[in-house]
Amino acid sequence: MALRKIRIMGDEILTKTCRPVTDMTPRTRTLVQDMLDTMYDANGVGLAAPQVGILKRIVVIDIGEGPLVMINPEILEKEGEQRGQEGCLSLPGQAGMVTRPNYVKAKALDLDLKPFEIEGEGLLARAICHELDHLDGIMYVRFVEGELFDVTDEEAQEEPEDEWEETEEQEESAEGKDA
Amino acid sequence: MTKPVNLREIVLGILLEITEEEAYSHIVIGNTLEKYQYLDKRERAFISRVAEGTLEHMIQLDYIIEQFSNVPVYNMKPFIRNLLRMSVYQLKYMDSVPDSATVNEAVRLAQKKGFYNLKGFVNGVLRNTARRLSQIRYPDPVREPLHYLSVKYSFPIWMLSKWVAQFGYEATERICKDSHMEKGTTVRCNLEKASVEEIILELEKQDIQVRRHPYLEYALVISHYNYMNAVSAFKKGWIQVQDTSSMLVAEAAAPNWGDYCIDVCAAPGGKSLHLSDKLMGSGYVEARDISERKVRLMQENIERSGAINIRAMVRDATVYDPDSYQRADIVLADVPCSGLGVIGRKPDIKYKMSEKRQQDIISLQRRILDTVQSYVRPGGVLIYSTCTIGADENQYNIKWFLENYPFKLENLDPYLCPQLQSRTTKGGYLQLLPGIHESDGFFIARLRRYVDE
Repeated sequence: MALRKIRIMGDEILTKTCRPVTDMTPRTRTLVQDMLDTMYDANGVGLAAPQVGILKRIVVIDIGEGPLVMINPEILEKEGEQRGQEGCLSLPGQAGMVTRPNYVKAKALDLDLKPFEIEGEGLLARAICHELDHLDGIMYVRFVEGELFDVTDEEAQEEPEDEWEETEEQEESAEGKDA
Repeated sequence: MTKPVNLREIVLGILLEITEEEAYSHIVIGNTLEKYQYLDKRERAFISRVAEGTLEHMIQLDYIIEQFSNVPVYNMKPFIRNLLRMSVYQLKYMDSVPDSATVNEAVRLAQKKGFYNLKGFVNGVLRNTARRLSQIRYPDPVREPLHYLSVKYSFPIWMLSKWVAQFGYEATERICKDSHMEKGTTVRCNLEKASVEEIILELEKQDIQVRRHPYLEYALVISHYNYMNAVSAFKKGWIQVQDTSSMLVAEAAAPNWGDYCIDVCAAPGGKSLHLSDKLMGSGYVEARDISERKVRLMQENIERSGAINIRAMVRDATVYDPDSYQRADIVLADVPCSGLGVIGRKPDIKYKMSEKRQQDIISLQRRILDTVQSYVRPGGVLIYSTCTIGADENQYNIKWFLENYPFKLENLDPYLCPQLQSRTTKGGYLQLLPGIHESDGFFIARLRRYVDE
């Protein structure tokens, strides 16, 4: 596992348009793995290659349902609306209200450069839109309604929670019967 | 992209703080909403609804959980029991949330917090609850009347048995039921600043619903407003948020022009300001309380009202202040209490209070009375009040007080509207019961110090 440095807004590279990936090299594979590691380490739900300083059309997403790697992604359809809070790993400690489509359908290539399609609703739709924008040098702040606001990163402050371990067995025994 | 805030996780944090760490519900919920004020109105409403609802119905929710779990709720890990409570609340009381969303979110949260091995347990209990909610058998009102009330309205048995003995079964049920009713906010018109009619007009201009309260002509009940701080009549100092029961304290005190009044437990200052209003700028009101923080809060309220005959100061009501000896025309002793009269607004009181704690509170109340009664001049008035119901902190304290100090109870009827007059008010005290009276549960006694001791 290798972590890469996340570029912060103000860095020129976040305003540039990325180039498509034409062939899969060990280097690119390593990049994807590092992007996933970096995203999980920062407690993010999505990360685009330019955020770690690489101008390639690659994004990684995990909204809690497993990793999704999208290479040369494109949105095919958008539908509906959702208004909600959005934040970016390249602008830590801040968030803003952004309206996005509630549903998107996209196509992309996987790690073996095989094409696939994906549909997403709610958070997944939001994450796909947010990350794909990065590939064209667009930050979400462009769409923020009203002011940006400060948010404290609770996840980062949370202690590992193992103080409840002792009484584990009692509930485990119930699990078998009730679940 | 960063992780969006998880509303259910926020609610869970609130519940853990209140049920496991003894924090007060209105403070924790208030602080949380302030911290997340950037969330949208719907999300904020979800947080407060689920947190408050879960607290309000906790005994019932635990009863339901135990129908489907072999582990009693008190044996579960705090995280798991509160997760189940808030989820069962959503299943039972929130039609707008699909059952599948409630169950899935709960399982996901359990997993996220490292309880992988309890995912199945959470899933099982909640799925069974969702499926069999309508078949649950509740205690029978005839065979187990107390247990029935306890589960139906989520009140502890010890409290119910005291009330049934003192107020009767039917009144007890009305008290319980009332605590679950949605109510408007009662405000007092500051008549020094504007007339009641002007104030009603000002409120209606902002599309706020206004209703006159039956007990006092300057009391209004308002609803359908967003934040009190956005209400123009409030910003101008024309209205103070105060329950009618607490307004009756200044009515019962009935200060005369120029009276010197000491309010010994004054925060947040509503009664003191009301007294100062009644004095029409004359006399002097000392609004005392124990902590800097509370006194600062009162100072803000005083400043907004613009009153000049009132001062807030830090004083501990249990510590004798020789400078006040027999100097006050009126002493208000609105003492700390178990708060059983305000459970409708602070549901966690039901679970935090116990007979043992109540005993400690009674000793504190008597210590305060013992200290502050000496501030009343011969012939002066002492008003004793609590926001609780039941004889222990009210009638029994008064009985004890009369046996030990040179005071007598005085008829309250001259200060009360006809609906509130009764045999006991003639005798000198008023016990307001929520659900029976249109106010919080409250107690007021008017005592006068003998001129010759």
